[in-house]
Amino acid sequence: MPRSPTEGRRPLLSLASAGVCYRSRRTLRSAGALHWALSNVSFEVMRGETVGIVGRNGSGKTTLMKVLAGIIEPDRGKIERNHSSISMLSLQVGFLPQLSGRENALLSSVLLGEDRMAAKRNLEAIVQFAGLEDCIDDPLATYSSGMRARLGFSVAYHTTPELLLIDEVLGVGDQDFRQKSTAAIKQLIKSDRTVVLVSHNLPTIRELCDRAVWIEDGESRMVGPTKEVVEAYVK
Amino acid sequence: MTSSRRTKDILLYKTYAELKAEAQRNFLGFLWWVIEPILFMLVFYFVFGKLLGRRPEAFIPFLLVGLVVWLWGQATIVQGAAAITANRGLLNQAFVPKVLFPTVVFFKNTFKFLFALLMLLIFLVAYGFEASPIWLEAIPVLAVGGLFVLGAAYLAAALTPFFPDLQVLIDNGMRVLFFMSGIFYDIDALNTSYKAVLRANPAAVLIDSLRAILLSGEHADWWRLGGVLAGALCVGGAGYAIMRVNESRYAKIAY
Repeated sequence: MPRSPTEGRRPLLSLASAGVCYRSRRTLRSAGALHWALSNVSFEVMRGETVGIVGRNGSGKTTLMKVLAGIIEPDRGKIERNHSSISMLSLQVGFLPQLSGRENALLSSVLLGEDRMAAKRNLEAIVQFAGLEDCIDDPLATYSSGMRARLGFSVAYHTTPELLLIDEVLGVGDQDFRQKSTAAIKQLIKSDRTVVLVSHNLPTIRELCDRAVWIEDGESRMVGPTKEVVEAYVK
Repeated sequence: MTSSRRTKDILLYKTYAELKAEAQRNFLGFLWWVIEPILFMLVFYFVFGKLLGRRPEAFIPFLLVGLVVWLWGQATIVQGAAAITANRGLLNQAFVPKVLFPTVVFFKNTFKFLFALLMLLIFLVAYGFEASPIWLEAIPVLAVGGLFVLGAAYLAAALTPFFPDLQVLIDNGMRVLFFMSGIFYDIDALNTSYKAVLRANPAAVLIDSLRAILLSGEHADWWRLGGVLAGALCVGGAGYAIMRVNESRYAKIAY
């Protein structure tokens, strides 16, 4: 593995030769085929850095994010965690249309890992950021899809895991909110938070990430400084 | 990875959210939690009390105790089996301990059951039964029953994602069990060599015990209830262990 600027310190999270295998459902007529979505991935995430993940469609990026989030465990290789909390910036987690915007915001925050007190404390900020002060007590079913997206984004944005995983969600909603949310996420990533970011947008990766990992056919092809990895990937 | 506090918060919010969502889904809302068991009871009263002409003493209270308890267990186990798969979207977005899903189903249905139970008690008093201190014995009986229902829901939830055909078996198995649990007849009054088998059914034990306490003012059969408790711990323990061991596999197979 290439040297990293953070050598010597204990990583928040490290993967060593990790692989994940899916099996399609067994039925009377088929035995269920095995498919290795990830076969051999190794890299580390250090405290405070932003790691970018690049790779083509189907290379295993989404599966990798699920492994990092602890949603699935690798079937081979090792994952070592030294962080207190981790979560994916997922939108509209657990939303129920019959509940009010406020109730959904609380439920979603708790599902994303916030405790109840923190969720309540954040509520004002969440509502304000989403710009939904006038209708936060109306049922979610009465919201437009843009309003739901704004609420979903705002909830996710206000969660504070030690390690944040972002899978290409830069900007949702209408033109104004898209700019606002993109700027907010960039600001968040540039702060001293630890972030793993998946994106097809190479300028974004170049702008935001300290280091990058190139995933190809379920393997980590290259790990190193963003500039070098992106250059190699583009070739 | 998940603190017990977060688990408690999710349990609280998700149970509240699902109850409220259910109540908001139609005009009568939470009134259905009372109306549904009453409608169900009316059908059975009509069929077994009127049409078939069998009408033992105090048949309505006898039927009602059985039905209220049965509906609690049946709904929890059937919905418990689907609990993890029903949350497949959530499962793939955030790490949530899987044991939470059947637990939410249990809390949701227990809340509704307590509603129905309160109605039942009011009805019994109005019907002429005397509320006596022995009714308090219903509390530990229901605790044992609840533990069994929760345990069965755990096992059903743990296994169904791996063996989806189980959902069909459970749905139909519950239908068979319904007729075997002595809801609209008294197992002890039957003249059959299968009586011992029928009496071993946890649903029958629970219903018999509650009838003894509420309708006859007698003590529950604690030997049989002890058996139910032991069964609950085995079944629930197995379900819990399976969910813990396979914690990160459900997200891969629930679809």
